[in-house]
Amino acid sequence: MKILAFDTSNKPLSVAVVEDGKVLAHVESSENKTHSVTLLPDIQDSLADASLSVNDIDRIAVADGPGSYTGVRIAVTVAKTLAFTLDKPLVGISSLKLLAADGGDDRFLVPLMDARNDNAYAGVYSNEHERLVNVVEDQHITMTKLLELLQDYDEDQLEFINATQKLTDLIREKYPHAKIISDEDSLPDATKLAKLAEHAEPVKDIDSFVPTYLRLTQAEHDWYAKGHKDDGNISYVEEV
Amino acid sequence: MKKDTLIMSFESSCDETSVAIIKNGKEILSNIIATQIKSHQRFGGVVPEVASRHHVEEITRCIELAMDEAAVTYDDIDAVAVTYGPGLVGSLLIGIMAAKTVAFAHNLPLIKVNHLAGHIYSANFVTDLQYPFMALLVSGGHTELVLVTAPGEFHTLGDTRDDAVGEAYDKIGRVLGINYPAGKQVDQMAAVGNDVFNFPRAMVQEDNLDFSFSGLKSAFINRVHHADQVHEDLSKDDLAASFQGAVLDILSNKTFRALKQHPVSQLVVAGGVAANQGLRKRLKEEIEKRNMDMELVFPPLRLCGDNAAMIGAIAQIQYEKGDFADLSLNSDPSLDF
Repeated sequence: MKILAFDTSNKPLSVAVVEDGKVLAHVESSENKTHSVTLLPDIQDSLADASLSVNDIDRIAVADGPGSYTGVRIAVTVAKTLAFTLDKPLVGISSLKLLAADGGDDRFLVPLMDARNDNAYAGVYSNEHERLVNVVEDQHITMTKLLELLQDYDEDQLEFINATQKLTDLIREKYPHAKIISDEDSLPDATKLAKLAEHAEPVKDIDSFVPTYLRLTQAEHDWYAKGHKDDGNISYVEEV
Repeated sequence: MKKDTLIMSFESSCDETSVAIIKNGKEILSNIIATQIKSHQRFGGVVPEVASRHHVEEITRCIELAMDEAAVTYDDIDAVAVTYGPGLVGSLLIGIMAAKTVAFAHNLPLIKVNHLAGHIYSANFVTDLQYPFMALLVSGGHTELVLVTAPGEFHTLGDTRDDAVGEAYDKIGRVLGINYPAGKQVDQMAAVGNDVFNFPRAMVQEDNLDFSFSGLKSAFINRVHHADQVHEDLSKDDLAASFQGAVLDILSNKTFRALKQHPVSQLVVAGGVAANQGLRKRLKEEIEKRNMDMELVFPPLRLCGDNAAMIGAIAQIQYEKGDFADLSLNSDPSLDF
């Protein structure tokens, strides 16, 4: 199976073409380039490196969030449009799960993204027989709550991934012995994304595929906080 | 016989996701528009992050509907066009990424379109444009007088120095208790009210073609606040008529000043505010009063708001010129002519 995989959920960009576990092409950038500018040319270059046409691809894989709202949207829009327009299967993988793919064996992996003000996007994954299993679902959470929630685990088995210096300091206060991989050392890798996507279930309805933001917009949050309700069924967008 | 050109066009610069299939820049085979107005009405105006999220939800559905309605396949399409500015950056990016992806996947040329040029070329669906022609572009984000000297050649003669005219409608609408977008209702109220408040007509004496609406907006708000303080009951219809009266005087004054400097045979009025019935009537009357031999072109209401059909119309001209973009195309949120 030939998989085209890409991630732009945060600053780094990673694109890969993988066939049955073999990496045919891999483009990475950790620089702060504009993903909207580079993603399509990088996909084009990757396919050229792999000597494939985009029509040869059997499956499209994308990291679908959480992350930078704009960053995630760029990759998700390209992925869903490509899958739709070429009628190819599409797989969305959690951007946190992709970070967890950097973690060690027999550990509880805690991929993190700094969401500022002592908040993080985080989840907990176990690595069982080389398969990542989600044990605490991805969420937007205060660091205090996250670290409390991890009390049930053996500190020596915890491995935090993609921690900024700020998050590292907070983790160290409570878990001085836990393993921490810094954000500088944990770049999302699209070859791993392809591997995760190989056995995942493709999305059933490509039109409805959207990023996993894990947060309402501020405007919506404030609107609901004022006591507004919708029945969850209302369509806010109408064809005219 | 010359082969027909079919362009698939994308527009997502603000709160409408739209995909169209346009034949030869003249014929609309489909023009799917998904509007987010209901969503943003919760907040009293467009919230950029909410808009971006809706665009991702709608984008492939719009492509599918556009192709189905036009009954075309990718083999029939000659090029892909997309609005790359001006507009909200997050919104623009969804249309741009989708358009680039379709162009890449099907090996089609990509055309980057200026949203303002698109609005002006919505007139291409109702008449044969005669160059040079004058365009009055009036919307929630823009108020400009543009001289179009040749296909795709734009010269801005005047611009707003502060608020766009549609923006002023929304702001005074809020004071009248009308939710965004307020233009249509203010227009209806103005039709029954009387212009009795004598709001200022900014810059009409000045010998330039620029506009200003913030003074008018402030005068309006001050008048209403003063009435509230002294418990004076003002007619909302009269307030609307007085506001619109000032707006129409300003737009008309500057437009005919421009037409005097640059005599042309067509005046195109485009953008969301071109749907305003008061404006339509006023410009028609002014032309008749002056005995001008000039065609007044208003796009149909559906093409006044943001839509992808208009993007396909101007894209045809760029297609013929060979004016193509590549896959590194980015948004330009403050793009102008």
